[in-house]
Amino acid sequence: MRTAVYFCQVEQGGAINVEAVAKYASNLPWVAAVDVLGIRPKLESSVLAGQIKASEIERIVIAGDSPGFFKPVFTRAMATAGKNTNEVRLASFRAHGARRQDALERAKAIVACATRAVPFPLAAVPDNTPVHPATLIIGGGIAGIQAALEIADAGKPVYLVERTGTIGGHMAMFDKTFPTLDCAACILTPKMVSVGQHDMIGLFTNSQLEELTGSPGAYKAKIRKRARRVDIKSCVSCGICTDHCPVVVPSEFDSCITTRKAIYIPFPQAVPNTYLVDAENCTYVQSGGKKCGACLKKCPKECINLNEKDEVIEVEIGNIILATGYDVLDAQKIARYGYGKYPNVLTALEFERLTNASGPTGGKIVTKTEKYDKRTKTQEWVFDPAGESPRAVAIVHCVGSRDSNYNSYCSRVCCMYSLKFAHLVKEKLHDTTCYEFYIDMRAFGKGYEEFAERIKQEGTFVVRGRSATVVESNGRLVVRGEDIIKDTLVEFPVDMVLLAVGLIPDRGTEEICRMLGVERDSDGWFSELDYNGNPTDTERGGIYVAGVCQGPKDIPDTVAQASAVAAGVLRSITSGKGLGHRSSLSLSEIEARANNLQTS
Amino acid sequence: MPIRINPKLIDELELFGSEDVQNCYHCGNCSAVCPHADEVFVFPRRSMRSLQMGLERKLERSIEPWLCYYCGQCSEQCPRNAEPGETMMSLRRWLISRYDFTGLSRLFYKSWKTELAAVVLIAVLAAAGLLAYGFGQGSIHIYDGVGAFLPSSAIHVFDLTIGSLMLLFLLANSIRMWWLIMNRNGESTPWWLYLRKSYLLPWHFFTQKRYAECESGKPASVHMPWLAHLGLMLGYATMLVLVMLFLPALQEGPQIRWSTHAFGYLASIGLLVGTIYMIHGRLKKSQVQYVHSHGSDWIFLILLFLIAISGVLQHILHRIGLPVAANITYVVHLAFVVPWLLRMPFTKWAHMIYRTLAMYFAGIRREALAKQIAVADTVQQLRPAA
Amino acid sequence: MHNSKIGVYLCNCGTNIAKIVDCPALREYAEALPNVVVSKEYKYMCSNPGQEMIIQDIKDHGLDRVVVAACSPRMHERTFRSAIQTAGLNPYMFEMANIREQCSWVHEDTWAATEKAKALTKAAVLRVLHHEPLERMSVKMCPSTLVIGGGIAGLTTALDLAEAGQQVYIVEKKDQLGGNLARVDLTAPYLDSARDLLTERITRVRENNKIEVMLNSQLKSLEGFVGNFVAAIQIQDGRPVAETKKLEVGNVVVCTGYKEFDAGRITHYGYGKLPNVITSFEFEKMLKAGRVETKEGRIPQYVAIIHCVGSRSQEFHGYCSRVCCMTALKYAHEIKSAIPKCYVSDVYIDMHAFGKGHEDFYKRTSEVKTLFLMYGKNERPVIRKADRGDDCEMLIEVNEKLSGEVIEIPADLVILMVGMEAREDSSEVARSVNISQDKEGWFIESHPKLDPVATTTDGIYIAGTCASPKDIPDTVAQARAAAARILGKIARGKIDVEAVYAEVNQDYCSGCRMCNELCPYSAIEYDEQKRRSKVISAVCKACGACVSSCPSGAIKGRHFTDRQIYAQIEGVLA
Repeated sequence: MRTAVYFCQVEQGGAINVEAVAKYASNLPWVAAVDVLGIRPKLESSVLAGQIKASEIERIVIAGDSPGFFKPVFTRAMATAGKNTNEVRLASFRAHGARRQDALERAKAIVACATRAVPFPLAAVPDNTPVHPATLIIGGGIAGIQAALEIADAGKPVYLVERTGTIGGHMAMFDKTFPTLDCAACILTPKMVSVGQHDMIGLFTNSQLEELTGSPGAYKAKIRKRARRVDIKSCVSCGICTDHCPVVVPSEFDSCITTRKAIYIPFPQAVPNTYLVDAENCTYVQSGGKKCGACLKKCPKECINLNEKDEVIEVEIGNIILATGYDVLDAQKIARYGYGKYPNVLTALEFERLTNASGPTGGKIVTKTEKYDKRTKTQEWVFDPAGESPRAVAIVHCVGSRDSNYNSYCSRVCCMYSLKFAHLVKEKLHDTTCYEFYIDMRAFGKGYEEFAERIKQEGTFVVRGRSATVVESNGRLVVRGEDIIKDTLVEFPVDMVLLAVGLIPDRGTEEICRMLGVERDSDGWFSELDYNGNPTDTERGGIYVAGVCQGPKDIPDTVAQASAVAAGVLRSITSGKGLGHRSSLSLSEIEARANNLQTS
Repeated sequence: MPIRINPKLIDELELFGSEDVQNCYHCGNCSAVCPHADEVFVFPRRSMRSLQMGLERKLERSIEPWLCYYCGQCSEQCPRNAEPGETMMSLRRWLISRYDFTGLSRLFYKSWKTELAAVVLIAVLAAAGLLAYGFGQGSIHIYDGVGAFLPSSAIHVFDLTIGSLMLLFLLANSIRMWWLIMNRNGESTPWWLYLRKSYLLPWHFFTQKRYAECESGKPASVHMPWLAHLGLMLGYATMLVLVMLFLPALQEGPQIRWSTHAFGYLASIGLLVGTIYMIHGRLKKSQVQYVHSHGSDWIFLILLFLIAISGVLQHILHRIGLPVAANITYVVHLAFVVPWLLRMPFTKWAHMIYRTLAMYFAGIRREALAKQIAVADTVQQLRPAA
Repeated sequence: MHNSKIGVYLCNCGTNIAKIVDCPALREYAEALPNVVVSKEYKYMCSNPGQEMIIQDIKDHGLDRVVVAACSPRMHERTFRSAIQTAGLNPYMFEMANIREQCSWVHEDTWAATEKAKALTKAAVLRVLHHEPLERMSVKMCPSTLVIGGGIAGLTTALDLAEAGQQVYIVEKKDQLGGNLARVDLTAPYLDSARDLLTERITRVRENNKIEVMLNSQLKSLEGFVGNFVAAIQIQDGRPVAETKKLEVGNVVVCTGYKEFDAGRITHYGYGKLPNVITSFEFEKMLKAGRVETKEGRIPQYVAIIHCVGSRSQEFHGYCSRVCCMTALKYAHEIKSAIPKCYVSDVYIDMHAFGKGHEDFYKRTSEVKTLFLMYGKNERPVIRKADRGDDCEMLIEVNEKLSGEVIEIPADLVILMVGMEAREDSSEVARSVNISQDKEGWFIESHPKLDPVATTTDGIYIAGTCASPKDIPDTVAQARAAAARILGKIARGKIDVEAVYAEVNQDYCSGCRMCNELCPYSAIEYDEQKRRSKVISAVCKACGACVSSCPSGAIKGRHFTDRQIYAQIEGVLA
């Protein structure tokens, strides 16, 4: 079949020397013509049709970073030339991951497959054997938990590594979950418990992956178990140590709107349900055992060992699941919202804790009150159950999202949780006014649109237009924005502003990429193997991504992905054929496989 | 009656320097941060929208572009890099071409080459004419007084004729502007409002205070654009008055006549500092509003700079007793001045008039609306509670 | 029995229950009830400490029966049953009183709500007195799986299972695999080839000897129960007369996908009347054929794309179809590529560009000068023929929200982004595999968040767009999730079956067979020799239909005995 290969790029070539690939392509069987058209070429279908007729082309291969962007014009050309339009093939460098040091070879392989009308993954994804039955999961949020349970319930060993003192992740911090409004704790804690009790799951909290060696199917991982300094087995969580600990620091679990001690338990339902010592802030540890040690003396079970050392253990595993989740954007970066400047401008996570029954006010929504702090001898703004409840609340969507100055992507969950906030406020404070500033109301999931409608019926004012500034004027916050539907500028005086801050990759992401040799996309999230076909696999065989660390998503989608990953793992274990490292196949091998596939 | 949209307008505006308007997804951030937007005049988003949709009539009747002084905050904060500030600038260019019935400004704006060619041609012609005239009736060795190469009396007449001619054009265009803005869909404005608000004309012209407001909340260093702008404006105005009314006195010499020259010097400083600062800024792209430069901006600045420098030079040469050099520089100077004067009503220069008028009209519109609202309210009160 | 010791536990559920029901009062009330030896309240009973508390009390107080007053049993009955089991009690010596969904969430007056909570709790206490220990039985697990639907979801599930070495049967209604995706040319947002994706999957399916594909076939009936289903498949494939094939399968994955909304139902779009108003799928055809042109064969100068056709509207479907926005943006690009001089207007409500790379794609679409026009959710554009002298075929009247103007959009070709809706045969499928549908016809998952692929019927899973609209990555994820569940089950080898089912007392049964017809799960078989009816316990879902209908009172519902129910009623009324 006489084939013509056209090279069209959307972006600059990057790692790939297009000329070299073109040269290679020209030597492929039945390639009659090769043409390098450069970046975003202006293409005339009539001209192309002429060329096609002239050199009797029967198949066209468009090669480039995203060749699909040029397909229609070539298809039209084929049609005008009276050829079979099905014979327009794509050789996408981006889709098949020609990015790394082997980009050039990969690009060649991609083109080779396309000229033979063979989908690249068919020819290029190797199965490798054998696969070690154990699995390492990094991150103990809902994604990690779900994946762990799926695999462990199938009777396969799992190591779950969590950086903090407890599993549960962000979901454990939430009050209620949209759109069904069942409380996060009610549905999450049972799962956390079964992880803690599961005899196929080795749970390493307060730990981190330190080094990874080996190859797909047979990895070796070094895990650093940071000293917990409290014996998990004998601690009964009586809490006496905390009562006597003099050190007070902000509580991460309460997104720093409350405080905890240096020896603490993240939250009552934590798993494992025991205390741990925050070495960075422990006087005893910092002073090398010279000062304090109050908890040691008071502990009735004598299960505290402040001199405990970190421990590095090595495990053998066949597969690794990345479920590292996310952090939220630091709202202080966006000065115009006055976060950090005005006490009652809160981020979403802070509000989740405030409105949560186990939060500082027992779920009462109040504005901060100024209190004298004896310890620091300063006036501080704190949440106090006796505080005033806000008369008006403004909720600002897309804070740092969909904005080329911060995160150009959409964080996918903010619209819905913002609507949820409006509901919670309305439910708890009937005559409080709520304003939602949004750009597009992205209520796309099952039951979401209906939820959004319900919130509007509840009397929340939705303003189409992203609010621009928050300023203080005579004791209240004034939110200024443009109401585009009403076609006017609006300024609402409110007592509380909730910023729907966008999601950003977890701070550990970059290091993990280095250790594991997986890639990140331009926004910093882990890159999947193939956006459509394999959204949970990565370039590197035996390493999977699940949940938000692959890109923002809500709980149902995260859970689905986590289970999906489990499928990949279980498949590889039972069949003993894991998904190999793509780059492990050489160009000639891929060519050979493509040939067979084509003939078969 | 629905308005037919015109997706082609956006392409046309690109010739006037608009960039990336299509990127705007209407979050409204720009309007909310704009120090000049208020409940009556919400912009730039609304103007961006009309442009995207090609609502030509709505645009040519809009006053908003003139209320923008391009502080660039909107462009800085725009989440989609849609450059609202630059869009407003390009809309002002487009409006100038709309007000101008001769169609010349359209021609100039659409291609800076044409404009440059026109300038050069006229300059050459002017120079030739002046030389011919000079050699015909006087001596190159005499700068002023009897037998002067270019006697100020004659130049004065020459100035005045061109000046007044251009003034006519400008007047015509301004009336057109008034018609478009104030007479839209037949809403009539009471005459006394025009009187009541007339103080706005000198007020805005001489202070350019709206421009200053632009920089409210910016660091002091950033106030420079406004100062430069003001210096240029006032310097230019003063110089125009001097040239048009006191030319003989200005040209008299060699001794310095402080009563007039003092103004001349101040004006020159204003002009030179202003032009140099702006040229430098546009080269360095030091401020947001200097990042994008349309061909016409360059021609405007460079020509003005040359006029100023040559003017100063011929003045100095004359004073230090080099009449020949002085005369030649003077010819050069005038050769620049002629095309400059001829361009007045059709190019950026017209900002000086249109902006001020716009402020005036805006003031009137605001008051008129306030009245309407007040009336509406009283009606509300009078209506018996149902 | 009357010396039995009951523990009553009240959950505050954060504030969910505590904010309406007066929990301390309820606790005191419960404590005073007969046989109650201990009564406690706690913030989250379901949490680990909560369960620990119960287990400890059972040991300390020697409880033999437990009542938990909390949320719906659907939510946590399992949790607490396993908790008391770990404490050594039989899991069925437990009763749950629902004081959240049926009380605190639906009442506002504290006093009344508390009274009701008391009644419900008392009912539970009286009922639990009559509970008897029941034993769960476990049955074998047939490792092969039936996949209904050969779209991207079905193919993915099948591959994951087969490549793990398990037998899979794919039943496809049409004469080819690929489903709706086969009608698509490129995928958003990266414009990758949909065909390559399918070819890859289909080739692997064809080459896998563990997968049997049945085209032109459909599921006629499904009998049996989890791990032991018998599916009757009607196969037309090439045969003159349809042949019915019986398959033994352990699990079933429903991947029947969606059908597109019928644009003809919206009159003022003139679909079917105006020749150049077409649906998104018709446009895909044009793209595949490389002929983006009007019916008259002219190259369009103006193309308009209208979003949310049939979606997000009161009279048709309330929900968002989730993929149309991105598809529309894709079309804008494809049109600009095929016809660079063409002007594209995109008429939308909200731009749902939420996925990875979507927002960037939206920006790119703006950059190529696609004109985005916004209309109100409860309004609708009106398409009419253009007048003579207009340079376009049609004019679309829209009340444009971002400008506040009523405008006319010129168009030579109008593309309607038709939404997704449940297939017409979905209710049939739902009935035959015994799963439920929501009001829109989508299949209902067992838990919207934490269990999106399982259903309320064990062994039946749903994946992809048959559960609700979703894009390819999310569909693939769900498909693989279903596979994971099944692989897990297969690995465990056997499955436990609920101990709650109906029993026929053979001595009392008159063989009237009234119950046989009534049973919705066909769980009752009739023994011709003995002339007696018998319940297949593993199939029985304990709905009680037979129990209440039996004229000779021969049928008893385990865990729903008359005594238990009367006691409960007394409790509520007392």
